[in-house]
Order: sequence, then structure tokens, then C-alpha cells
Amino acid sequence: MIYLDYAATTPLDPAVLQAMLPHLSGDGTFANPASSHGPGYKARAAVEKARAQVAALLGAEAAEIVWTSGATESNNLAIKGALEFRGVRHAHIVTSRTEHKCVLDTCRHLETQGVRVSYLKPGPEGVVSPEAVLEALTPDTVLVSLMWVNNEIGTVQEVARLAPLLRERGVLFHVDAVQAAGKLPVDLRQVPIDLLSVSAHKIYGPKGVGALYVRRKPRARLAPQMHGGGHEWGMRSGTLATHQIAGMGAAFELAGTRLAEDAQRLAGLRDLLWTRLQALPRILRNGAPERAAPHVLNVSFEGVEGEALRASLPELAVSSGSACSSATAEPSYVLRALGRDDELANASLRFSLGRGTTAGQIEQAAALVVQQVQWLREMSPLCKP
Amino acid sequence: MVAGDVTLMQALKSSDTNPFGYPEPIWELFMHPPHLGEFPAGTPGVVTGEAGSKAARSVLRLQLRFEDGRVAETRFRAYGCPNSIAVGGWIAQWSRGKRREELAALKAAELRQALEIPDDRAHCALLGEDALRAALAHIG
Repeated sequence: MIYLDYAATTPLDPAVLQAMLPHLSGDGTFANPASSHGPGYKARAAVEKARAQVAALLGAEAAEIVWTSGATESNNLAIKGALEFRGVRHAHIVTSRTEHKCVLDTCRHLETQGVRVSYLKPGPEGVVSPEAVLEALTPDTVLVSLMWVNNEIGTVQEVARLAPLLRERGVLFHVDAVQAAGKLPVDLRQVPIDLLSVSAHKIYGPKGVGALYVRRKPRARLAPQMHGGGHEWGMRSGTLATHQIAGMGAAFELAGTRLAEDAQRLAGLRDLLWTRLQALPRILRNGAPERAAPHVLNVSFEGVEGEALRASLPELAVSSGSACSSATAEPSYVLRALGRDDELANASLRFSLGRGTTAGQIEQAAALVVQQVQWLREMSPLCKP
Repeated sequence: MVAGDVTLMQALKSSDTNPFGYPEPIWELFMHPPHLGEFPAGTPGVVTGEAGSKAARSVLRLQLRFEDGRVAETRFRAYGCPNSIAVGGWIAQWSRGKRREELAALKAAELRQALEIPDDRAHCALLGEDALRAALAHIG
């Protein structure tokens, strides 16, 4: 099995596991970090260490990091929290059609509450221009939500150019940075983003934990979505999962030390994969090559049926879009938003690379894909023999 | 490892595990489809039938070569999901030695039962029945 689905999730780094284990055992810091006694303070210290580690990777202050259960919750908290704090009456959101489902579904939910949402159509290479965002703003626009790196096609959006333009206009800017953190430099001291979602398990941390960056100056205000003991400055109640949080902290610190090296190596492997796949005629790369994140390559294959393509590659763990568990998945809505027809969107593969990916694996994977696409094309009565 | 390393390819192929959970008859015929291809143009005794459409993402072309009133060999080409491809392979195997009347009696239900085609893929079995009927229509 060749695993090329690191954008869906990554394995836990051994160092991360070691950072988590002490907080799971009876003689470790298992105590509730909110407890006012010695073991509680120790757990609290572990949580705060991790908060500083996550903040450091993002160029943020520790007090701007709010723990969540993952990026889906972070995105829900950012978008619903911002809208509810401001009041949904006459409120307007700008987002794009190629956002993650958890952003789109949150926006759709808010539409049922009376919020108006503009879903911008990206260009054919998946880029949403800052100018298009500005044109969509209205006096009622409360929030713009855009992802930094698209999870299906790897296109890097111009969030750094857009952020100051929105700040000038007093519009909150939320960025889903799940595929950017640890992959690209993210420095919130330089880029005036108000709310930013991250996840641990995309960068070799544990599943089930994420964070939302909430800017303090100027302060981004949110209505909590989880009510309880007033944890996390009242923005997200619930007992903190010390082991998960410690793991996320360790993963983010590790990502910081490896960022430049990982990015350069993965970009090289991504380019090698694309070069090898081009042995096939009639293939299309999705997303803007000059704005490509280092770890994602998305390719459409003409002349083959998508389900058969995926099923013909049981030795490869790749996605047809975002994470899906079945070969029979629906065509990607992201690729359709880029203008690919259903047939071509369905006959597309997302290869996402990670620390475990080797040049040998890329060669094997490319050879398998080339072989199977040729086989399916030869089998097709729609292709000339 | 370089592209085209046959040994590694075989090793990887031998680890086929049907990760998508297709019914075994479909998986086997999809991964190792028998009788793929076409007869050379002008081969005597060949009738061709095709069903499906590109828009529906499934096309099956069957070619049956008759000798003395019986099918000597069937070849197929398919564009579509693994179920569609398996249907082509199954008909190609099943049809050998059969007369026109026996072939005409094949119903989609029999295909579904033989290949364990699930309800939501029933149209793949109909594709097979339609392609076979289209071929038989060319026999006078």
C-alpha cells in the first residue's frame, strides 16, 4: 500500500506520541487542568506550554489560541460565533464555492437563520481574487471566510493580500488554515487575519483536537457555541483534553522546525509525480501550478470512468476529492466549481504527500496510475483501439 | 524502483484486497476481465451490439463470433464502473457454446444474481442485457 492521502490525515509522529503519553497514565498529569491543586496545575502547565507552541507556529500570542475538537468545530465557532455575536439580522457573509464542507454547511445553516451569503466562484484555476471579494462586500458584510490552501486542489489563496484590505474596511476575516499551517509560513503578526482555524491531525498530531486563533488586538468577539464552565475565556466550555492538546503542541513545534525542509522536499516530489504522470496524454492538472501548496497534486484523467479508475488502484490510498471512504463517491464539488464537467471531475485523483513519502513511492504510484489509466482507456469502446 | 518495474507491479497486484468492498464475483471479473478486446475487422461470423452512453458513464460493446450456430468466442470492451466491466466479462464467458435462443433468454435478473449486483447498480445488469440483445438483433 502506498499512502498518498496526507491531506486527509497524517500518522502520529513518534515524538508527538511521547508528548501525549504522560498525560494519560495515573502517575502522570492526568488531572483536570481546571482543578486548583498540584496535579491540576501541572496539567494546566502542559496545556499552556502547548498553547504557546501552537501560537509560535502561527506568529500569534498564546492567549489568542482557543482549543477545540478540530477544524470543523473551529470553523463553526468562528463563523457562527462571529455572526451570533454581531446579530444575524441583516447580516451578510462572503465565502467561496470551494471551501471545505464544514464552512459551506455552516453558512447554509446561517442562511436558514436569515443571514445572506455570497458564494464566490473561483477562476478556472481555483483562485478567488481579492478584488472579487471586495466587489462582493456590502454595508452588511460581517465576515469573509476563505481557506488559505484548498484541501482538494492545493491552490494557495491570496489571503495575505486580502487581509489588510478587509481590515481597512472593518470586515472580519476568517481563514481556514488547516492545509496551510505547518506547510507554508503563517505569520499573524504580519497578516491581519481575525480568526484562523487549525487542526492537529493534518500535521502529525492526534485526531480530535484543533484550535481557533482569535485576534486580541483588535479584538475579534465571538458568541460561544458550547456553553458550560466558561473555559477558554468563555468561548469554548468543556474540560480540556490535556493529552490531545499536548500532542497538538508538540506537532506544531515539530512542524515549525521542519517547515522549510518539508516544503522543499514535498514540492520536489509533487513535481516529480506530475512529470511522471505526463507520460499519459489527455490529463489535466487542477489548480494553479504557480500557486500550488507543496503537498497536493490533483489530476483529471480524460477517457476513463472515475469509479473504475479508483477501484483499479487498490494499492494506492488516494482521494477523489476530499476524504471519502468509497470508490463510488460523487464528483468533487470543488472541481465542478472550477468548470470541470461531471465526468472529468469524477475521473480525478488527489495525491497528497507527507513526511513518509519517498521518491520510490512516487515512482511506483506514477507507474501504477499510468498503467491502469492506459488499461482502462484500451478497454473503453469510446477510445480507438 | 523505476516506472515499469514488472516484479514490483506484480507484487503490488498480488496484494489486491478489494478495499472498496465490491461483491467478489464483480471484483474478480473487474481486476482480471476475460475476453477483453475486439475481433479484427472482417472476421467472419461476428455480430456486434452496444448499449449505454457516455453521458450515463457506461458503455458496453459485445462482439459474438458464431460458428455453426453457436458462439465460438465473445469479446467485449467497456467504459464504466467495475460492475459494468464485470458484466461484460461475465457475458463473454457465459455465452460460449450457446445458441441464439439460449442467449436471447438471458435476463438482467440472472446477471444480477450471478454477479451479486446490488440494487443501486441494477442498471449495470440491464446494460448487459441490452448489449446482448443489440448484438442478437443483427442475426437474421
